[in-house]
Amino acid sequence: MSKDLFSIPVKRRTLLEAGLAIGAMQIASPFVVKSLADEPVKIGLDNPLTGTYAAVGKNELIGCQLAIEQINAKGGILGRQAELLVEDSTSGDAGTAVEKARKLIDRDHINFLVGNVNSALALAMAGVSFEKGVLHIVPGGHTDAITGSSCHWNVFRVCNTTQMEANAISGTLIKDYGKKWYYITPDYSFGHTLQAGLEKAAAALGGIEVGGDLTPLGTTDFSSYLIKAQSTNPDVIIFLTQGDDMVNALKQAVQFGLDKKFHLAGAQQELEPLEGLPPEARIGTWVFEWYWKQPNVPHVAEFVEAVKKKSGRVPTARTWFGYVSTWTCALAANTAKSLEAVKMAKALQGFKLPPEIALMPDGAFYREGQNQLIPNLYVGNAQAQGSEPDDLFKVTNVVKGADVAGTLEDTGCKLTWPA
Amino acid sequence: MTSVGFNKQSANLLVWLLLLAMPFWLPAIGGYVELGERVVVLGLAAMAVNFLLGYTGVLSFGHAAYFGLGAYGAGMTIRYLVPSTGLGILVGTLVGTLAGAIIGPLIIRLRGVYFAMVTIAFGQVFYFIAFRWNSVTGGDDGLNGWTRMPLNFGITTVDILHDTRAFYYLILAVFAVSVGVMAWLLRSPFGRTLIAIRENERRARFLGIPVDQHIWMSWVISCCFAAAAGALYALLNNFVDPRALYWTQSGDFVIMAVLGGMRSFWGPLIGAAVFVLLQDYLSSQTQNWMSFVGLFFVLVVLFFPRGILGAVRRKVTS
Repeated sequence: MSKDLFSIPVKRRTLLEAGLAIGAMQIASPFVVKSLADEPVKIGLDNPLTGTYAAVGKNELIGCQLAIEQINAKGGILGRQAELLVEDSTSGDAGTAVEKARKLIDRDHINFLVGNVNSALALAMAGVSFEKGVLHIVPGGHTDAITGSSCHWNVFRVCNTTQMEANAISGTLIKDYGKKWYYITPDYSFGHTLQAGLEKAAAALGGIEVGGDLTPLGTTDFSSYLIKAQSTNPDVIIFLTQGDDMVNALKQAVQFGLDKKFHLAGAQQELEPLEGLPPEARIGTWVFEWYWKQPNVPHVAEFVEAVKKKSGRVPTARTWFGYVSTWTCALAANTAKSLEAVKMAKALQGFKLPPEIALMPDGAFYREGQNQLIPNLYVGNAQAQGSEPDDLFKVTNVVKGADVAGTLEDTGCKLTWPA
Repeated sequence: MTSVGFNKQSANLLVWLLLLAMPFWLPAIGGYVELGERVVVLGLAAMAVNFLLGYTGVLSFGHAAYFGLGAYGAGMTIRYLVPSTGLGILVGTLVGTLAGAIIGPLIIRLRGVYFAMVTIAFGQVFYFIAFRWNSVTGGDDGLNGWTRMPLNFGITTVDILHDTRAFYYLILAVFAVSVGVMAWLLRSPFGRTLIAIRENERRARFLGIPVDQHIWMSWVISCCFAAAAGALYALLNNFVDPRALYWTQSGDFVIMAVLGGMRSFWGPLIGAAVFVLLQDYLSSQTQNWMSFVGLFFVLVVLFFPRGILGAVRRKVTS
């Protein structure tokens, strides 16, 4: 430490060049500012691209990209081009998701914020967008609070609430398979709220809970729970586990032969996990939030083709979430004829999506006073093999969202608008 | 000798000048103030970890627990008790310190990898409490429904929610106090004793130094500042979720400390800056950003085992 920190030899030329470069930057920057009409309208996607939710996050990204292409082909947003800025929120780190949201809003000056798959991150991001007054669309975080107790005037959600999914499936299960249910529930808030939702929905229809187990997240051996479930002799065993836990639980239930004795069911199911299951474990009754095989609904086939051309795979519910979220931004601005968040949020109250974007038999609309999309829900059975490679679900009953959404008071949402 | 003293002083001056002027120069070079806030908060946590790792020679892999307790302490105070930012920071720091003080005696006799593993285990206990206790902590959905409150000084109130610069200076003030206390402690005979323990624990024991007591004190001090950083982190995000308590978060702090240089006082802050900036930049460029961050860390450990600041220092002295 004999020398001074500042006596590191720096060439005179280097110093001069650095000075010139800094000087040039000062002069050059004003010319970069374009007139407002040339500036694209920016939509910021802050969604997982790495970690547990990478697969579903990437499917949402494909939906967003397709929507951007279509929006620009149809004249853009208020006559300006739309541009998608993508940031990886990670699958579970709220700090990163919040930081990325701030980066998009403060530095990149986005007009719309889209995200997140993870409910906790969606809630954390909603805090930022609310603070900054930016229109925010949540494509796929299911927890009730987003459009319930924690709702905000600027936060809209495309995917269903857990309560809607529970309500959608309980009618079918009780009618077709019986009233006595046994729950296998993952032991964290998602599982708890989903089970509470199902219990509430079942109780209204005369369902009985004969027992239940809370399984720790990451359980690999479900045998003790399955034996216990068997001993209570239920009509239906309800699996609320997700991801790998779902795969393990279903595989073992089939190995135990439970599928022959009882009916297996659950609430939310998606195409991505079904693709990960071995064919013999693709069983049970579930709710899909959107399905690609809807032969009688116009525009669906074109959408499926467009996504197939883009990604090589059929669209999943996640692709549709991303697609609808991005289109919602464009429709909000074009309807309100403004990019002011309050005006756009007002324009979206009760807004009905056009059929080529809703892609559902009864269409979909944003419920006034809650900002929740009320779509169709698809109740049906998982199948080992369909008529086509990706056809792993057989829709038996299309439920109207309005019938299962409950009243506005039930959701606990009270919007307060800025003065 | 005088030139070394001058050198150190000018380096300190440079760091403080850069930190004080951050909200002005950072946006000009393409950053944003929140990025600076994140660097300072995580830097404080990494420096707290380094108080233990670099100056006492004890590796903790469970500091996220106290960081997270600070975060939950601050969040829950504002949410459930008193809507006051200052009180939130205070309660958060106290909760984390208290937890550290209680757990300390159970682990200070352990050394090396055993110490690290038990700290992870205790950390995970708090993680699962936060994860499972839905009605109070919000569970996996996190603790929301609160925001940082304006600072009330009696004569004037400062809105730190919308004025990011004001909030940055609040963070910097807490950071300055914490760092000042740590530097003062390290210069005191107590700090010298810690370094003696780091260099040769057996010898320190033979000299009659109560080693376990000193490690406990160092541990509590470290937990205290980690908790203070956690409280600031909660305010920064207006949100807390159990991930702040998870062991990977502890790992991040250790990485920051090692990256920047764990034998240098400012090393962890530089490590945190590099870590946050690298993550911020790379994750916008590529989906595989984690590979690059990992690769960078491997390279630093292989070629600059004393961290970035350690390498700079060696170059200066040689």
